[in-house]
Amino acid sequence: MRRNQRQLYRGLLFLLTLVLSYCLSHIGPPSTVAQAQSRVFVNQAAAQFDGPAGPVTVTSNETRVGENIVPLSIVKTADRAAAEPGDVVVYRLLVTNPSSRAANPLTITDQLPRGLIYVPNSVQTTPLQPTQQVITDSSLTLTFPSLEPGASVSIAYGVLITPDAVRGDGRNVAQASAPGFSPVSAPFQLTIRPGIVADCGTILGRVFVDKNFDGQQQPGEPGVPNAVIFMDDGNRILTDPDGLFSLANVLPGYRVGTLDLYSLPGYTLAPNLYRIEDNSASRFVRLSPGGLGRMNFAVTPTFGEEQS
Amino acid sequence: MKQQWWIGYGAVALTVTGLALTVTPAAGQSALAGYSLRVTSADDGPVQPDEGLTLREAVELANGTLTPEQLSEAEQAFVQPLPTGQGSQIDFDLPMGQTTIALVDLLPEITAPELVIDGTTQAGYDASAGLDPKFPPAPVVSLTVAEGSEVARGLTIAADGVTVRGLSLYGFRTSDRATQTTPPADIFISALAPPVDASPLSPALDLFRLDQPEAQPRGVVIEQNWLGLPPNGEFPVVPSAFGVNVFNAVETTIRNNRIQNHDGSAIITGFRADGLQVSENAIIGNGLAGMPDAIRLEGAIAGSAITDNLICANDGSGIYLFKPEGATQISGNAIQYNGRRFERAAVYLMGNDHQLSDNFIGYQPGPGVAVTAYPLSLRNQIRGNRYAGLDGLSIDLNTQGNTGVQDFQKGDGPNPPRNSYHRRRETGNAAINSPQFDDYSFVSGAAEVTLTGTADPGTEVDLYRVAEDGFPYSPLSEPLGTVTASPEGTFSASLALPPGTRVSAIASDPEWGTSEPAPVAAVLAADGTLPELPATPVDLPNCAAPVPPPEPVEPPPPLEPLVLTVPRNIHFALDRSDISPESAVILDQIAEVMLEYPFLTVELHGHTDPRASAAYNLALSERRSLAARNYLIQEGVPPERMRIVPFGETQRRSEGSGRVEYARDRRVEFVFTDVRGLDIIFVDQEADLQLE
Repeated sequence: MRRNQRQLYRGLLFLLTLVLSYCLSHIGPPSTVAQAQSRVFVNQAAAQFDGPAGPVTVTSNETRVGENIVPLSIVKTADRAAAEPGDVVVYRLLVTNPSSRAANPLTITDQLPRGLIYVPNSVQTTPLQPTQQVITDSSLTLTFPSLEPGASVSIAYGVLITPDAVRGDGRNVAQASAPGFSPVSAPFQLTIRPGIVADCGTILGRVFVDKNFDGQQQPGEPGVPNAVIFMDDGNRILTDPDGLFSLANVLPGYRVGTLDLYSLPGYTLAPNLYRIEDNSASRFVRLSPGGLGRMNFAVTPTFGEEQS
Repeated sequence: MKQQWWIGYGAVALTVTGLALTVTPAAGQSALAGYSLRVTSADDGPVQPDEGLTLREAVELANGTLTPEQLSEAEQAFVQPLPTGQGSQIDFDLPMGQTTIALVDLLPEITAPELVIDGTTQAGYDASAGLDPKFPPAPVVSLTVAEGSEVARGLTIAADGVTVRGLSLYGFRTSDRATQTTPPADIFISALAPPVDASPLSPALDLFRLDQPEAQPRGVVIEQNWLGLPPNGEFPVVPSAFGVNVFNAVETTIRNNRIQNHDGSAIITGFRADGLQVSENAIIGNGLAGMPDAIRLEGAIAGSAITDNLICANDGSGIYLFKPEGATQISGNAIQYNGRRFERAAVYLMGNDHQLSDNFIGYQPGPGVAVTAYPLSLRNQIRGNRYAGLDGLSIDLNTQGNTGVQDFQKGDGPNPPRNSYHRRRETGNAAINSPQFDDYSFVSGAAEVTLTGTADPGTEVDLYRVAEDGFPYSPLSEPLGTVTASPEGTFSASLALPPGTRVSAIASDPEWGTSEPAPVAAVLAADGTLPELPATPVDLPNCAAPVPPPEPVEPPPPLEPLVLTVPRNIHFALDRSDISPESAVILDQIAEVMLEYPFLTVELHGHTDPRASAAYNLALSERRSLAARNYLIQEGVPPERMRIVPFGETQRRSEGSGRVEYARDRRVEFVFTDVRGLDIIFVDQEADLQLE
């Protein structure tokens, strides 16, 4: 019973400590903006609890509000301004702490754009050595124990440009942060040239007599030979005897194809009873670089050709 | 819109009957009450109790979606129950002068098995008027579309054993719209027809079942109807789209019908038409503005037969088999004067094991029979046919895997002899060699001439007489006999043939099929000369119905060159293909001349001015000649005497680039031919010039 009461007591005391420290940091003369700029509020929380070896007190780090901390500075450079797939680019980061306080700990991250990957084991740092290093294909995180006031650390690493890079923007951003400092970042824009690697895609499709009006070719729905498909760039494609066609080396982007009904007398585009979009006379594909697009045309016997 | 509503209504009704069928599959069909129904009102519109029984009410009663109690007393008098198990019967007792049923909406789909719709029961039907079974007597009851309405299908049949007899159906089509429609037809036979278009009001699509064999209507009979033309036989104001669309049905019979004036094919199959029987129909002047072939077989057609039909003056092939599954038998047909718009083979075969026998195939701007190289087609037996007036081989096997545009229409001409086994894999009928005579001429003996030559070993060689001269591959006119090639590949035949006869031959092998014809050889007189045989009499283009009494034979008029003061061209406005009133006057004169002189044929040459692209102008010139042709058809000129030849901008009338010159270029020229072989004198005119 008594033991319980004592524990309750201690808990109350702990609560009181928290409340008091909170109140203390707020009690004071009603501050104005001018006063706030001239004063520095230091706030540190502490908590106490009963451990197995008696009461333990832990304190948080200090937060200082109103202190005019000079931010970290970060500069990012690379050994070239333009690159193409297959190149290795060496990036250099210089992080300086111009403030009067130590940045403790210092974390530096670098996020690569699409198609750029780190060269393994290429990170070199001077004069400090990172305590922790997390590297994935597209991101790098280095943690240093502390950066003293006025000190700086230099980091260099290599990055490989893959063919995917032409699809990305080539802009990567490095960031440095430490407790008590607002994060700073430095971007670097690399111009990605396509190089000798092609990014053309392929379009394939079929022209067939649709019996169940679903726009898909099933058994019993024969392909139509010698049908003509026109592409937006003027390419004219002829289907093979099975009604299939494919078009290699298509520039990526939005591509439109349409069926030349004059090439298949007696047929017209079949209605699609399932997807309204497929009732259109043309097919629209978004062809990604190196990608594959599909244009299927369902046709059905026609009448009334004089109407249109 | 309202049409969709009816489909929806039918679909709901079908779901109900479908459920009933699944609950009692054995008793499902006999559960439907059978009635003897007498249609006494030609009106159409929503079902309601009133004075007369309409066709729509009769169909709904037969389907079981309407009970007699929902009708008026007067209407119930026309409904007599039949014994259980007997199919309903719809008879007609329409008042005099009101025998045209003008539909305002789709009729409900016929789901009552064994229903008989019999137009011959109408008073005034003269069953004895038909002299030829191909030309049934004119129906009295006609089913068409009310003015201002759009109805895609005349009768939609989804039940076993339905019979449609003695009706005239015409005017069923859909208008141009944002999305296309499923093919409209006078008669559409399918296990639950697809909705007309993709409108949101269309029924749920799980009803649209193609792959369930038990749902396919079996044994539907279409007989003694006039499809595509009204009972007076005139060209309808609104032509139908397709005649009979056998979309998904087995053992359908289409016999003794007259099928005419359709925009698309007269008979077209869709997904499945196994066991289709098409016999003794007159199929004339179809494919005017759509699928040009008279009979177009696609999908599953195993066990089908096309026998004893007259297939005449259609715009494409007489019969075109497009990648079918299963074999068909084509025999005893007269396939003539087709290819009015497309230069196609009279019969185009794809697939294996088709039999083509005892047909007359003639007057075609293409080969008689073409067999495709791809998909590889084997064992097609083409024997005992007669050919005349072809622009190509009697039998043309595509070779070397030829799959160009022309190869799927006209074939590729005479094949070289097979020089490798691999030719068999890329040639129709496995590249069976055509026979070769040992010489181009054989000297006749005292009574007989002995013809010798080579052919594939063991093949049966059919010898033919060739009537037309000139071309070394002239049409095979008449079978003379059959000999078998020896194992060494030689054949020899002794025949009693008059000197001057020209002969050719085809070889058939049950394993491979029938070959192309041999180059013609001539039979010389004993002294080595080639006497001229009397020319065969000229055959006038004709696919008319037989005339009742035998005409008194007139003495043939002496052949004189015809001097016609007939205009030979009409003009058009810029980028237009419609007939102006001035041009209509000129076309009337041309129609008058055509009707006056039955031996005249005409080619309609379409032309444009040189502006716009060549491809566009080619299409425009075709539209212009089509417009002129269709006008003349409406004026009564038979389609078998007209051919369409578009020229685009290739043959200008003038050379300048002024308004007048261009106006002169925009024309259709009428090139008349006297089939008796005489010259005609023409007159140019510019009365209808349209300056722009």
